[in-house]
Amino acid sequence: MATVAVPHTGYQRPAVLDWITTVDHKKLGILYLYFTLFFFAVGGILALLVRTQLAVADSGFVGNDAYNQIFTMHASAMLFLFIIPVWAGFGNYFVPLQIGAADMAFPRINALSFWLLPPAGILMFAGFVVDGGAADAGWTAYSPLAQQTGVGMDMWILAVILLGASSTIGAANFLVTMLRMRAPGMTMFRMPIFCWTMLVTALLQLLATPVLAAALVMLFIDRNFGGQFFDPNGGGNVVLWQNVFWFYSHPAVYIMILPGMGIVSEVLPVFSRKPLFGYKAFVFATIGIGGLGFSVWAHHMFTTGSVLLPFFGFMTFMIGVPTGVKIFNWLGTLWGGSISFPTPMLFALGFVSMFLIGGINGTFSAAVPVDFALHDTYFVVAHIHYVLFGGSVFAVFAGLYYWFPKIWGRKLNERLGKLHFALMFAGFNLAFFPMHMLGLDGMPRRIAVYAESTGWGALNLVSTLGAFVIAVSMIPFLIAVIWAFTRPQDQPADPWEGNTLEWATSSPPPVHNFDSLPPVRSERPLFDARHGDGAH
Amino acid sequence: MKRLAAAVALMALALLGAGCQPAAITDEARDMNDLYNVVLIAAIVVFALVAAALVYAIVRYRRRDDALPPQFHGGGKIEAAMVGVPVLIVIGLFTISMITLVGVDDTAEPDDLTIEVTGFQFSWQFTYNLNDLGEGGGGMDAEAEGAVSVIGTPANEPVLMMPVDEPVEFVLRSSDVIHSFYVRDFLYKLDLFPGRVNAFTVTARETGDFRAQCAELCGLNHALMRFTVRVVERGEFDAWIASEAVRQLGDGARVRAR
Ligand SMILES: [Cu+2]
Repeated sequence: MATVAVPHTGYQRPAVLDWITTVDHKKLGILYLYFTLFFFAVGGILALLVRTQLAVADSGFVGNDAYNQIFTMHASAMLFLFIIPVWAGFGNYFVPLQIGAADMAFPRINALSFWLLPPAGILMFAGFVVDGGAADAGWTAYSPLAQQTGVGMDMWILAVILLGASSTIGAANFLVTMLRMRAPGMTMFRMPIFCWTMLVTALLQLLATPVLAAALVMLFIDRNFGGQFFDPNGGGNVVLWQNVFWFYSHPAVYIMILPGMGIVSEVLPVFSRKPLFGYKAFVFATIGIGGLGFSVWAHHMFTTGSVLLPFFGFMTFMIGVPTGVKIFNWLGTLWGGSISFPTPMLFALGFVSMFLIGGINGTFSAAVPVDFALHDTYFVVAHIHYVLFGGSVFAVFAGLYYWFPKIWGRKLNERLGKLHFALMFAGFNLAFFPMHMLGLDGMPRRIAVYAESTGWGALNLVSTLGAFVIAVSMIPFLIAVIWAFTRPQDQPADPWEGNTLEWATSSPPPVHNFDSLPPVRSERPLFDARHGDGAH
Repeated sequence: MKRLAAAVALMALALLGAGCQPAAITDEARDMNDLYNVVLIAAIVVFALVAAALVYAIVRYRRRDDALPPQFHGGGKIEAAMVGVPVLIVIGLFTISMITLVGVDDTAEPDDLTIEVTGFQFSWQFTYNLNDLGEGGGGMDAEAEGAVSVIGTPANEPVLMMPVDEPVEFVLRSSDVIHSFYVRDFLYKLDLFPGRVNAFTVTARETGDFRAQCAELCGLNHALMRFTVRVVERGEFDAWIASEAVRQLGDGARVRAR
């Protein structure tokens, strides 16, 4: 086992102190992963409560008040405490390794980015124990509803501001790292595709998150000091909140999915034994999604009656173009390849097929008159889950299975991994496909109860069943993880025949990452090292 | 290959069946439903083609030996097609969306029936001004004053009465937070804001009871903000207005009913 190559000094810090004070990007990356996967579990449990409540008509499992808190905190945990920071976790560990750097550009700021998360998570969830309960106005916190609720809402606002600060400074750190610290020979167009998606994500975070912070400060002032920014009775504008909120939160959807696309675009070439088809097209498509992402926010507001419909409808359709390009990238990568199916590949293929549905069912809402019917119904709930679960969460697991040997020096059991995938894939479609039909049949989102006479019971029951299948799918995953940790660290530097520099160093890497770097003459330096430049 | 094509076709048919919208009961909804069906067919075709290609690639190109496959990076022409095909699809869909949007964006004539809708936590108020009852004045004297109102509660869901086969304007207001006026079979919703007025016009073509409810989270009993839209013949509507006028405004209203 190759761990630390620096000579030991006399004093060894206690392990806990070491983890708390570390500025090593790899350890911070691991902390990010533990933190975010913990909140994935918390958000998942809240999701099961939601689905249990909705399993049957006129359900009394939880009351309306509790229900509003539960679904609000489900979304808040999943989006703000899981998906957004989980990419920072993968990015922390793998961006420096993939570009051949020894660490992030600003290691202490990197530690600060992480350590802002736990207080934010605690603050947000402490809402459950204060008077009036946790935030319950939805993760969208529409004003004036968000003016009415208890102190849990203030805690939620402060928590999201903290999380925004974390992701803003983290984004600056990623940008500088990728722009300034690439290995010799690694031009921008030889940078691994996961890094490219992290770079565009960081740009989006840097430009969009401060807008959300400003909006949240205004909401906080409105609630506590009579600011009246969003109160029409005081000369404020009630639609303004939606504009500033979505100005962040639509780009945030890309913040939540782009790095997942990056991971999938690392995994597919490795297990197809071919380069990514259309690398540059993929990069430009990613930049295109990032740019267009700032011009489509009002498609969340088509039914407000105060949106320039043709403009936002057009831009929303246009963002389908770079998305479509990516589907071609992935298909073209598989085409003519030599494809094997270990667990990371299964999750990557799951991502492609489910994201395909999530892209297609999104076009319905781009057609403005169709959105008049579908907006705020379960059709939209289906859409976001096909993008953020079928997309992002499948990519998270593709990344975990793919990089587990690198991070921990052990492989996750293949059989358990395949069982995990099969259950999750089936459970996911069972849980979320019926929501399309429920939405078409007029079931609004965020309702705590529905009447028997609506006839929504059967499909809701199927959906709830699917949610529990997803929960069960986590059991083989957990067993695989625990089992792996009981085994020796036996993984070689490059167990998958990878393409990128993280596979050029030991598993796990030493503190300083690399003893030596191979030459970088393409976007696949390790492929070149294995097969010679001629094979290219 | 044949089996794959058959499986994909079968799945596409199933999606087409599952993907239908409920019966559209207004002129506007019928136009919007036509648009929906175009988008649905485009979606299913795209899905079927890509899914078939994906499954084909996975089956056809699975690893058989250690030989390295051709290292193909892509090329100008095929990448241009990767951009061109989605551009054509989305421009087509955008164009027909806008045509439909212009078509359904009706504005009411001044003498059409107006129903004032006020959303509140957690029910609805529907108000009919007696001097704004549309066709034939609703059987009311032209000088009729006052208004008939229906106010619901979460336990006692209100019924919105409206006549069939004529344009009806809905004027939407909120007295507290944001709500959304959503009638499933109109295939339409529009938000209600405090301090702002929204309006839309539809012409219903079918009589009957249609369920509806608030579609924007508005607090504790959001789920109970339900109501029924009852579309009736003009005569039945007039009779209902007349009896409500008497009930709510007293005998004075009787003389105004012609
Ligand atoms: Cu409401």
